[in-house]
Amino acid sequence: MKAVGRVLAGLVFRWEAVLVLLIFAAAFWSTTLSDLFLTRANLLDLTTPYIFIGLMALGLTLVVVAGEIDISIASILAVSVVVLGQVFEAGANVWVAAAVGLLVATGLGLVNGLLVGVVGLPSLAVTLGTLAAYRGLAFLINSGEGVASFPVGFTNIGSGYVWGQQVPIALLVFLGAAVALGFLLHATRFGRYLYAIGSNREAARFSGVPVTLVRVAVFGVSGLMAGIAGLVYVGFFGSTRADAADGSLLDVVTAVVLGGVDIFGGAGTILGVVLSVVLVSELRNGMQLDNLGGDTQNIVIGVLLLAAILAGNALRALQTSGLRARIARARHKEVMRPSSRTEGIT
Amino acid sequence: MNLATTRRISPHALASAAFRLRELGIFLALAIAVLFFSIRADNFMTVGNWQDIANDVALVAVLAVGQTMVVLTRNIDLSVGSIVGLTAYISSDTLAHHHGLPLVATALIAIGIGLGCGIVNGLLVAVGKIPAIIATIATLAIYRGLLFQITGGQNVLAFQLPESFLDLAAKKPLGLPLLAWIALAVALAGAAVLRWASWGRDFYAVGSNPEAARYAGIPVGRRIMTAFAISGALAGLGGFMFAARFASVDAVAGTNLEFDAVTAVVVGGVNVFGGSGTVLGAVLGALLVSTVQDGFTLMKLSEFWKMFFNGTAIVVAVTIDALITHRLQEALRRRRRAEVVAAREGEAPA
Amino acid sequence: MRSRKLTVVIGVVVLAAVAAVLVASVGSAAPQRRSAESTKFFLIPKFIGIPVFTLNGVGAKAAGKQLGISVTYNGPTEASAAKQVPFIDTAVRQGYNGIIISANDPNAVAPALRRAKARGLKVVSYDADVAKDARTVYVSPPDTQSIGSGQVEWVGSQIGYKGEIAILSATTTAANQNAWIAVMKSTLKKAKYKNMKLVKIAYGNDNDTKSAVETQALLQAYPNLKGIIAPTSVGLPAAARVLQQAGKCKTIALTGLATPNSMRAYTKKGCGKKFGLWNEVDFGYLAVYVAKAVMDGKLTGAAGQSITAGRLGKRTVGKDGVMPMGPPLVFTPQNIDKYRF
Repeated sequence: MKAVGRVLAGLVFRWEAVLVLLIFAAAFWSTTLSDLFLTRANLLDLTTPYIFIGLMALGLTLVVVAGEIDISIASILAVSVVVLGQVFEAGANVWVAAAVGLLVATGLGLVNGLLVGVVGLPSLAVTLGTLAAYRGLAFLINSGEGVASFPVGFTNIGSGYVWGQQVPIALLVFLGAAVALGFLLHATRFGRYLYAIGSNREAARFSGVPVTLVRVAVFGVSGLMAGIAGLVYVGFFGSTRADAADGSLLDVVTAVVLGGVDIFGGAGTILGVVLSVVLVSELRNGMQLDNLGGDTQNIVIGVLLLAAILAGNALRALQTSGLRARIARARHKEVMRPSSRTEGIT
Repeated sequence: MNLATTRRISPHALASAAFRLRELGIFLALAIAVLFFSIRADNFMTVGNWQDIANDVALVAVLAVGQTMVVLTRNIDLSVGSIVGLTAYISSDTLAHHHGLPLVATALIAIGIGLGCGIVNGLLVAVGKIPAIIATIATLAIYRGLLFQITGGQNVLAFQLPESFLDLAAKKPLGLPLLAWIALAVALAGAAVLRWASWGRDFYAVGSNPEAARYAGIPVGRRIMTAFAISGALAGLGGFMFAARFASVDAVAGTNLEFDAVTAVVVGGVNVFGGSGTVLGAVLGALLVSTVQDGFTLMKLSEFWKMFFNGTAIVVAVTIDALITHRLQEALRRRRRAEVVAAREGEAPA
Repeated sequence: MRSRKLTVVIGVVVLAAVAAVLVASVGSAAPQRRSAESTKFFLIPKFIGIPVFTLNGVGAKAAGKQLGISVTYNGPTEASAAKQVPFIDTAVRQGYNGIIISANDPNAVAPALRRAKARGLKVVSYDADVAKDARTVYVSPPDTQSIGSGQVEWVGSQIGYKGEIAILSATTTAANQNAWIAVMKSTLKKAKYKNMKLVKIAYGNDNDTKSAVETQALLQAYPNLKGIIAPTSVGLPAAARVLQQAGKCKTIALTGLATPNSMRAYTKKGCGKKFGLWNEVDFGYLAVYVAKAVMDGKLTGAAGQSITAGRLGKRTVGKDGVMPMGPPLVFTPQNIDKYRF
């Protein structure tokens, strides 16, 4: 058992270590593209345009660990953002509007959760449907110009800085969320339930895990994270548009998969996802500096996504064969010892 | 006493009864929609309007036939929109520079490129073991990015294309637009493959239970690859049709078409769990979706209702399917128990 | 199990500490703007790939050559404000001196532009304006009032000033589109146009397929439609094609703004017999001169200031920092062959 534990631990550490190495490599590459890269202000600001993607990725991580998928998150963000705009424009205080937006986002996530957990529909089909339905809903609520007159106190969430105008508040929001969700996933019973359900749902159910409740709840969390991502999004862009976060799904999924989260469920860490968000930000940033168009960048990110899964599959294949070899060797050694030799055993 | 003599309804008959019910369901929904719109929308029941619907359905139906193959094997192909864009542009661009090229040759080029894209998808899913949803989200982005590289930010403009090509979309043999005839041919071919080709029938087995299919000797990997290849090739044909219809092709052509295809397929009763569904259903699904969208337009409803409707339709259809599948499994289980009990009773006196 | 968790937590803390130290140790201030090195401007159109914007780029680079300024022309591939933001940030990161932008949404790009201004870049908007505090001068297309009312007149004169008309616009948020639409609406209130009714504003998002689909929808939903105004260089040819395919060129009058090249075939066949635009090359050319003047401090956005913009001569800033670029051009089957852009 200890051997298994050590091998597993070794693998986990290796993936995050690879990410750290890649982050440094990407940094090196970026410095060749612009001598303005290695300034404190720039480094701290690197992830700011992608924080909303990182927040969605954190939420999606929990869902994927539980063995499901949620591709409607960008649409949930859009609805919550548009609702925020409408409520604010109707005269409410901006923080009240934000709260309403978060509530709506969580609610939409719970709808997904109910359809998957209670009605028993496959999460892929459900979130494929809600991806379209929620996006349409966002446009139905407000298809025109976004509301734009937000107070600076609010937009600071996405575009403000502290500590001498250098540390982006959005980054702090992201790190805070990472710590919170990291705690939730790695140090609470709820988190253990997620891993259990992701590894083997039926076994988890027989072990007494409240499977339905947890599945519904995790989609609610994913929705909530989309709502928080929406706050940062509005802060960054300054206006609430129904096409918010359109096209961001690729980056969110890539961040999750690249972060070492097993797409089949049951494994993954928040740390890995945080590192991969940094890496994806660096890559996008670097490609932008290199004057590559957004859609060309998408090719790179798409290939990265595929490579990450292939690597994960390969590692898993190695791991199983590596384990078998070890166990076979251990058994062979055990048998070869003179004291244990008995008749009939070869 | 053997099982053959005990009275029972074969699971096969039960299953096909359920499927026929499903198609009847869509047909009913279609009839209701037509009735509703003919009352509430102006000019719905005119020849011109139905020709417009036919043109819209044509492209989606062709994509839906391909998507059906893929979904039957328990996968999904979200990259078809990008493949349509890619092949539409290449078709247009080739014709713009070679006015003399026969249209059929251009269509074959488009289909060929689509086939290539589909094969890549198939390799990623069958060999790379990447879940289809992730693989095709990635290739959606990659193919779209390739399209941007090829266009270099330029468009093909309508006035650069030969008249014969631009006229394709306007031809209406026997009153039905040419594009709709093409779609009809594709649908018939697809249905024939699924019914009579052994490898086509294998799709159902692969989707119901991949492990069992493997044990039964079906080359699961190769079948999945075939499904994706067909989906890609048909998307290529769709690209050619797209170019013929819209003439000017830019780098965002075909965006979101995959949703129309998936909606048609899911609404049409092709089960997302894999293993059941028909081309007829998918085509009816495409027809229903296009009819509703057209009706919305005539009722002067905002276009965003269409997106909302598509999404809701998917959820509703999947829910209905889940309930039907559930009921079917229950019914089959009961039948089987009854068979076993009857067989045992038959042998007991021995 | 617990020892592994402890190891992970320690690992995370160490990682965070290392990252913090690394970031803190790099140079704190951004390097000073290098005035001795060559000046460079970044021209960001709404999106790249269509002739009107490509021509802006051509004019801008020509002006840059005359002034000894390097001009980069780049932008997103579709009409999305969110996609313009990375280009603004790139301009800042790569040390550009000025940004010239035509925005898909005046507000969505404003925070990024303000950040750029805070870091010393000069911001000039053209074609489609941004939030006023995010730019110094706005180089506008020919006078909004005359463009808006002109298109109403161009369509009205073709339908006998009577009947239902629709507008096929670009995106819902582009400032120039909305300004023209506002003028069109107020023009329609005048006595001369009182028998003309605006039944719908459709949005083609500056995308050819979408514009074609929207035009189709207009034809379906409004069978009595007499005229369409498409003030978008992508929408007008798309609408013309749809009308031609449907055989409706004689029954529905078409007008708007587009390049003569894209409309020539249709105009000569009677679809879109009168439409307009302006010299797109001059547009880009002027914008660069304005940006240079802003950089040199000659223009601050105050009304009344003027510059000599190369071969275009004298140009003056009006109210709210707006400088119109010049007179519009009107195209008909008779004169369309004279213009080759």
